Amino acid sequence: MNEEELAAGMRAQRYFADEGLLTAVYLALTLGRPLLLEGEPGVGKTELAAVLARVLDRELLRLQCYEGLDAGQALYEWDYPKQLLHLRATEAGVGDVYREEFLLERPLLLSLRRPAVLLVDEVDRADSEFEAFLLEFLGDFQITIPELGTIRATEAPVVVLTSNRTRELHDALKRRCLYHWIPFPGAERERAIVRAHVPSIEADAADSLVRAVSGARRLDLLKRPGIAESVEWARGAAALAANGDPWPVALRRALGLLIKDEEDMALVNAHLDELIAP
Amino acid sequence: MSRDAGQDLLRGFLRDLRAAGLPAPVTRQRDFLHALTEVPPRDVRHLYWLASATLTASVVDREVLDPVFAHWFAGGALSVLPETDTPGEEDRGGDGAEAAPPDQLAREGAGREASWSAVDREATFALTSTAEHQVLARLRRDLPGAVPTIRSRRRTPARRGDRIDVRRVHRDAWRTGGEVLRPRWRARPQRQRPVLVLIDVSGSMKQHSRDHLRFAHTVVAACDRAEVFTFGTRLTHVTPELRRRDIDGALSALADVVRDADGGTRIGPSLRDFLGNARHLRMARGALVLVLSDGLERGDCVPLTKAVRRLSLLAHRLLWWSPLACDPGYRPVTRGMAAIVGHVDDLAGVRDLHTAWQQVKKEAL
Repeated sequence: MNEEELAAGMRAQRYFADEGLLTAVYLALTLGRPLLLEGEPGVGKTELAAVLARVLDRELLRLQCYEGLDAGQALYEWDYPKQLLHLRATEAGVGDVYREEFLLERPLLLSLRRPAVLLVDEVDRADSEFEAFLLEFLGDFQITIPELGTIRATEAPVVVLTSNRTRELHDALKRRCLYHWIPFPGAERERAIVRAHVPSIEADAADSLVRAVSGARRLDLLKRPGIAESVEWARGAAALAANGDPWPVALRRALGLLIKDEEDMALVNAHLDELIAP
Repeated sequence: MSRDAGQDLLRGFLRDLRAAGLPAPVTRQRDFLHALTEVPPRDVRHLYWLASATLTASVVDREVLDPVFAHWFAGGALSVLPETDTPGEEDRGGDGAEAAPPDQLAREGAGREASWSAVDREATFALTSTAEHQVLARLRRDLPGAVPTIRSRRRTPARRGDRIDVRRVHRDAWRTGGEVLRPRWRARPQRQRPVLVLIDVSGSMKQHSRDHLRFAHTVVAACDRAEVFTFGTRLTHVTPELRRRDIDGALSALADVVRDADGGTRIGPSLRDFLGNARHLRMARGALVLVLSDGLERGDCVPLTKAVRRLSLLAHRLLWWSPLACDPGYRPVTRGMAAIVGHVDDLAGVRDLHTAWQQVKKEAL
């Protein structure tokens, strides 16, 4: 698959990547390296992995990170109850229970066994100790299980890591990945995204919506709306407009889908006339 | 371009990058060269994105990459490159500041310039006396008990618990030939909540800031997760300096970092800088937040009130320690304090190490 085919495939899945992101994704596929994505919430980091899975026709394996995530939930775990039953039933030796059939495969190990796109979502939410579990996996696409030996990938998985930058990741982790920062999209691209996801919306309606969103992003908000929010807003406003509301009124009424904080709402309301032309 | 010239160009580019402060490790450089052979760049813009994906490890690194790249490959005219798309369009999504991540806008020690009485000088602190060391030792002893706790997400083996520790049960069963004799448990242990200390180092707090910084040093030493910021005219993250064990060494290291000591007060804007940064917000969420300040704000009090309200919503407990409140006749009637007092969990009088220790003991009960 060359770069144009990749771009076309992602466009067909309604994902509009800019040149920088496309280059980073293509490099990750060509060099077989994990891709670390950072950016504000709601710019499509997680979505990229889902789209990539569909474009490449691979299974999407998702590992949502949280504080306290440990190796047993990310890599593998022994099926202890099953081992116990086996011990009692057969009175076998201890070494006998450390076999593949007693191994519970968690997402990281699973992604080595079959062609997959692995999404390690919000790495910054896991505590920094967890990053150490990832190192062997990301560096060589292998996992060492003391009782069994080293398990290598039959086919290198496509790995996407996302982070919201709430803390700095370890250098050792970053060194093993390609890196890309996803910014808010330009107006042209955001229009395309909104129209692709909400087909019922008119061209000039989408235009005024995108203008309002980029205007809102320039305000001093606590949480600036991402692409996910503008698509939701467009959907809500389109539903209201189908009910007979004129477009600017529909936009105003659906504002709760774009702005989700009371203080931000007050600020946006104060600037509403500049953002949404009546 | 001949092959040799191309190699020289790349070598020079990587060398300059290193000299400019972006030491790309060998593996990354190998990735970059590998990328060039696998994906021959179409144009300079494409080459830029190849370099960006392989050589940078953080969006901040682009600040170094951009000028060096421009120098070597674009004849110095590359300002439009790291734009999203359709550069030059009126309302594109990122207008420079927006394209940068939030924590780049308000980074540690990079607060906005003050509008008045901003100072830029080194603070000097006297050495800690023996008597003070004794109070600090008491603080160190009592602090861990005063920090509120929260249940850890990570279960550990315990006598009584809510989940069976199958792993330990299994291990025990080896000895008895697969017979399970008694269950083992795992439970979620209590752990300290994070502690966030915000210290006012402005002129009006001058005589107290020395003790407050000493107190903060003890907090960093005694608590599991603690972060400390100072603010006067701007916000400074000082936890790394306070990690030094030697207290006087740590304080003199602080003097190099805190450039706004004994200047004017801009509490509201400083707190807003703090809250505007996702990475800092994380330190306040569910934490014990201690603000050591007299709350004397110059100018507009609205940012201060808003910031304190937001902080109290984020924090587990928000304590405001003011030296003025040591006076039994003190009433929070200044415009700033009157607005704040409704949002803080406790307003207490702390003017030196001893009063701080008394507050800590009170909290521990």
